Amino acid sequence: MGPAFVPTTGRPEPERDRINEDEVEPGLRRFKDAAEVVAGKLSETGDELRESGNEEEAGIFEFHVEMTEDPELVSAVEERIRELESPEAAVLAVGEEYAAEFAAMDDEYMAARADDVRDVTGQISAELMGRGASGFEALKTPSVVLARSLAPSETARIPKGMALGFVTAEGSRTSHVSIMARSMGIPAVVGVGEALEDALDAKKVAIDGGEGSAITDPDNDTVARFERMSTALAEEQAALDEYRHVEARTSEGRRIEVAANLGSASEAEDALAWGAEGVGLFRTEFLFMERDDLPSEDEQCIAYSAVASAFGEKPVIIRTLDVGGDKNLPGVDQAREENPFLGWRGIRMSLDTPDLFKPQLRAILRAAADGNLKVMFPMVADVGELEAAKAMLQESRAELETEGAETGEVEAGVMIETPAAALCAAELAKESAFFSIGTNDLVQYTLAADRGNERLRRLQNADHPAVLALIRQTCEAADAAGIPAGVCGEAAGEPEMIPKLIALGVTELSMGAPAIPRAKKVVSEL
Amino acid sequence: MAERETTVGPEEGIHGRPAAQFVKAAKGFSSQVVIVKGDREVNAKSVLKITGLARKGEKVTIRAEGEDAEQAVEALAELISADER
Repeated sequence: MGPAFVPTTGRPEPERDRINEDEVEPGLRRFKDAAEVVAGKLSETGDELRESGNEEEAGIFEFHVEMTEDPELVSAVEERIRELESPEAAVLAVGEEYAAEFAAMDDEYMAARADDVRDVTGQISAELMGRGASGFEALKTPSVVLARSLAPSETARIPKGMALGFVTAEGSRTSHVSIMARSMGIPAVVGVGEALEDALDAKKVAIDGGEGSAITDPDNDTVARFERMSTALAEEQAALDEYRHVEARTSEGRRIEVAANLGSASEAEDALAWGAEGVGLFRTEFLFMERDDLPSEDEQCIAYSAVASAFGEKPVIIRTLDVGGDKNLPGVDQAREENPFLGWRGIRMSLDTPDLFKPQLRAILRAAADGNLKVMFPMVADVGELEAAKAMLQESRAELETEGAETGEVEAGVMIETPAAALCAAELAKESAFFSIGTNDLVQYTLAADRGNERLRRLQNADHPAVLALIRQTCEAADAAGIPAGVCGEAAGEPEMIPKLIALGVTELSMGAPAIPRAKKVVSEL
Repeated sequence: MAERETTVGPEEGIHGRPAAQFVKAAKGFSSQVVIVKGDREVNAKSVLKITGLARKGEKVTIRAEGEDAEQAVEALAELISADER
């Protein structure tokens, strides 16, 4: 419940239309920079969506990123700037040309692309004028946002904590706005249709996301009812907050370490605030994406060292590069594969390309001087791969020592995500310092069910006897060898899965940081 | 110069994510690459130009000029004809 806020949607108005001769060069530069900034923000949002499993939404951002870098768009805008049009006006004009072209196409889908190109060029223009494109900069007090529709790029620009909920005329439970609301932890009432028109003048709006209703300018009784509801919700959240910094233990006294999965070093601070006791999975792919060259050893070292220092003595598990034929890597000869998820990826690629793998291992060894780093190898299917990877780690250490570089201790473990690794767990445990079970892929490979296929929802579930049997076998092997067994897939953060995982012998849970307090509560109540 | 005719695979034609992935792949080649459909010829590295160019089942020609023209044509023709996952 809160004041109503109606963002001024539509295209930004250029501050000026024309520029002088001597503003051309700076204008070209400013345009290039603004397009880069927008591309960066878009791909960041896309990555976040992908990490939270919204592959389809992430694809839209991929398309938007390509638009900001479109060579035809760029040269058309540059030409207009050279003809003394202001950069902000030029990019809008070119966007409008393409939008008109799409809108004229005899195809509903293509006509909708007109909105995409308007959205992207509008963002670049707004960036050039140093402001957000959706009028959300005017949102200074936490409010309920009312709009006909909200594009993902718009919801992403809402200042943190300022949206209490969304009410939109368009949309459904599975549309962008609903997904964004869930990831922001706020209620949304979508698809209200024409009823929105009447609500736009409201001073105050109360929304009940559970029931899917919105009440404009509520009377005193309604206000009281909503206040009771939101107090109850706040109390639930506050009760969870108490668990942020506890050490989770079951009633039998079994200590379960609760850690965070991170996609970049910048997330470290938030994760610590949520109560992360370490990092159970630090994905390194972000260093390799959206660029034309490979990250240098030094660049990688800086990123690993940042997360190592942020966590101090707490353990941080760095997973070596896990990409395959579905993502292009500059300088690596990747053939297009029929089945990238069953292809040349993870440790398979790393072992075949020492030029790629060695700099990563060296960077991890060097960064380990600044904290408690461990290294984990993805997609391992047999002990030979683990031995080869460890040999390369050893070789890298020897090289660094000869060079006189400072290094730290780095334990090496295996990500258990192929059924083969789970079945060979006893053998792998002899050579591993720890196991981490990647349930998302383990489910996909065990049940032969593509993670991204909507129709296979029923099979995208770690709570399947076959998967549970593999987890049990992995944990037993770990226990026999005296090494820890963690879980770093989505199952680790699911309240209904946590008791089962612990019963199977899991000693460590790693998840998206916001799920940590609830997971600690679930563990403490076992 | 190299060229190859192929048939568009994805259900909704060249658009959105497949378009983005096609353009990404095209940018990986140093050759100049164009897609030809009927009398239209567009820059294959421009997502805006290729969007809406053709629908599933329609024939297009990929044409490339440059050092890696052969590889570009082969890879991109295959990509554009692949069914959407």
